[in-house]
Amino acid sequence: MALLELDDLTVRYGGRARAVEAVRGVSLTLDAGETLGLAGESGCGKSTLAMSVLRLLPASATIEGRILLDGEDVTTMKWGRLRAVRWTTASIVFQGAMHALNPVRRVREQIAEPIVLHADTPPSAAAVGKRVDALLAQVELPVAKGEAYPHELSGGQKQRVMIAMALACDPRLVIADEPTTALDVIVQAQVLSLMSRLVAEQDIGLVMISHDLAVLASTCRRLAVMYEGRLVEEGISTSVIADPRHAHTRSLAAAFPTVGDPVYRYAPATSNELGLPEPPEPVSAGVEPLLRAEDVRVTFTGRGRREVTHAVAGVDLDVWRGEIVALVGQSGSGKTTLARTILGLQHATGGRVLFDGEPVPASSKGLRAYRRQVQLVLQDPTSALNPRHSVYESVAEGLRIHRVGGDEHAHVAAALEAAELRPPEEFMPLLPHQLSGGQRQRVVIAGALALEPRLLVADEPVASLDASVRGEILALLLRLRAKLGLAALVITHDLGLAWNIADRVAVMYQGELVEVGPVDEVLSNPRHEYTKSLLAALPTTEATVGER
Amino acid sequence: MTSPRALAWRRRGDALAAGWRQFARQRSGLFGLGLLVLIVLLAVFAPVLTDREGLNVIKATGGPLESPSWEFPLGTDRQGRSVLLLTLWGARMSLTVGFVAALLSIGIGTVIGILAAHYGKWVSAGLMRITDFFLVLPSLVLAIALSTVLNPGIGTVILAIGITSWPPSARLVRAQTLTIEARPYIERSRALGGGHLHVITKHVLPAVLPLVFVNTTLAVGSAIVAESTLSFLGLGDPNPMRPSWGSMLRSAWLDSAVIAGAWWYLLPPGIAIAIVVLAFTMCGRALESVLNPRLREG
Repeated sequence: MALLELDDLTVRYGGRARAVEAVRGVSLTLDAGETLGLAGESGCGKSTLAMSVLRLLPASATIEGRILLDGEDVTTMKWGRLRAVRWTTASIVFQGAMHALNPVRRVREQIAEPIVLHADTPPSAAAVGKRVDALLAQVELPVAKGEAYPHELSGGQKQRVMIAMALACDPRLVIADEPTTALDVIVQAQVLSLMSRLVAEQDIGLVMISHDLAVLASTCRRLAVMYEGRLVEEGISTSVIADPRHAHTRSLAAAFPTVGDPVYRYAPATSNELGLPEPPEPVSAGVEPLLRAEDVRVTFTGRGRREVTHAVAGVDLDVWRGEIVALVGQSGSGKTTLARTILGLQHATGGRVLFDGEPVPASSKGLRAYRRQVQLVLQDPTSALNPRHSVYESVAEGLRIHRVGGDEHAHVAAALEAAELRPPEEFMPLLPHQLSGGQRQRVVIAGALALEPRLLVADEPVASLDASVRGEILALLLRLRAKLGLAALVITHDLGLAWNIADRVAVMYQGELVEVGPVDEVLSNPRHEYTKSLLAALPTTEATVGER
Repeated sequence: MTSPRALAWRRRGDALAAGWRQFARQRSGLFGLGLLVLIVLLAVFAPVLTDREGLNVIKATGGPLESPSWEFPLGTDRQGRSVLLLTLWGARMSLTVGFVAALLSIGIGTVIGILAAHYGKWVSAGLMRITDFFLVLPSLVLAIALSTVLNPGIGTVILAIGITSWPPSARLVRAQTLTIEARPYIERSRALGGGHLHVITKHVLPAVLPLVFVNTTLAVGSAIVAESTLSFLGLGDPNPMRPSWGSMLRSAWLDSAVIAGAWWYLLPPGIAIAIVVLAFTMCGRALESVLNPRLREG
């Protein structure tokens, strides 16, 4: 008998008048000890599907079809039975470990909570303590960490705590909802290998949800792809990725490039008819760089002036005209601080930044002029746009600040056109919440382009976007460079992005640049240990653990 | 093709209509609003409806402390003036002082709150210490001190109330500004080259205004109570031709209306104060649920 069987499952949200079908007629089976990856973009219904297994859906949701968990239909279970099944038969590793843990309780108590709740007779404190110690050991955390509060743990450690919680009652099925999305590549690799090991050792069934096919392929034997609530493709991971049949699977697979594969070089996945420009000519070394950072240092002083953090510890970086440089590093490596310093949003404690051979001014008037030349594109386009301002007002904001003469309407239309929002007139009156994520990011880019800058600083420009949109935005950056000669400094934790669009890559580690050079050289033959470990941690579609 | 600006205005009109529908759904708010409109209309048209000369002590027609009759529906005061007439004219004074003092207090509070949150560091530290200073001062004592130093009159009362009641709104506006300033679109605006004035007027102020608006509505009620208190203590306008509800209560007390059993002299101004404050509070609460940014942006 299958461990989990979904039979023509449909989940609807909302009232009678305008119900939204999140899941439409999905049928799936999962045997004990099997691993299944569930892939799809945001809004495709994959999280709803997973939560419906334990009926953890909001009250507005209605379920049709059958969900058989160990042969028992979850949809018809009484409340008491459902409560018993939750966590003992199936458990969930929730998305975003930082929000799923209670900040005011020690993690040991939180791991013990389901054990105590699901015991028939109240277990002794010593027995619970022993069980928690065993669980902590299983997820490779020192027992002493059990006494910590969530804020004292790193992201990876919190995720391990979440996994320990999921395993607390020896479930037969674990559902992991984007377990590594917020983690760095290196930590992600550790968490993934831990999960694969535990699942294999304890013969647990695993359903893992992600938008990243490479992550799923490295842990799961089978792969199911969802699109608009339907299951569009299902099969053995390796064959699905090697030979995707559905167009959506193809675009998902293409969106996450294989670093080192020349096919993906200067070729982000795009279906735009404008195509991709030719790879640029290498920049000759004799020319003066557009932007030059010389021994830039930024030091933050904590309270009491004892804790001193060297966010940026002596960085030298050049960006030439029409060049795309990727600044790669883990979170906390100081890459965002460096970008803010280059933009003049953060005071450098040492060193200097030269733009076009001139030092970046410190006066507010000088900075204003400087910011016509250098523009910023932020990570999350949703919060980077004022929700009260229309597209037109957001794009015109820079023009009004700098009192650019001429026809404002024509300038805005041209900027929207350059960001490929066509026809511009249709987008102008819209508010941000009426746009998709990709369109919002294009508006942010249009707002930057309106001032005709020479350098674009993009802080994780595609990190919060869906896979299919990601390629389009990256292709836009490449086309802008080809058309306008725009230079760009792209900050990212994603080596695949650097391989996709950048000419040179700078690897940042603990406030210092450990390796700078052409993308092909650095990513094919890394010299520094840190770059090597970053590359080794990338989940790959080839090395599949699940081949058992 | 209409221009984006015209579309923006139409969108604002739509938003206003949607807000009104939401407001109208709350019965208490609607009731309060109706009450307020009635009272304001009566106060505004008092010179048309009645004869101001009835307030003149020399020309009073009734006897002292007459009980309610057809001629004087709410009786008369010690000087023989109609209490109904006094209450009606008192509404003009009380509402004027209430509105102006509330605007003054919210205005000071908004400016100080936004400046403190926007500039941070030393500006914030300095402004917030000033705010704390006014917060710990017993406001009634300060108001009394002010009204004795300055010439007695309506201006002094407004000033006294305005200067003593702004600190809570400054703290509120500062907190709201801080959450707005943490949004990435402020950073984008700075990176576009926007200066302090641009960030404050284009991004912070529109986001803070709904809160300020709600606060003003609620503050009018407390300003009216404060005005009555000051007038009752004898710090209001001494001119008998310009009565307020507070000064009516004062004269009723001085004329020993309680001992004389003249309930018609005491109750009308007291109930009028209660009704107006209640109406403003009901309106303000309903507005709050419509405009509260936490409920709307969630």
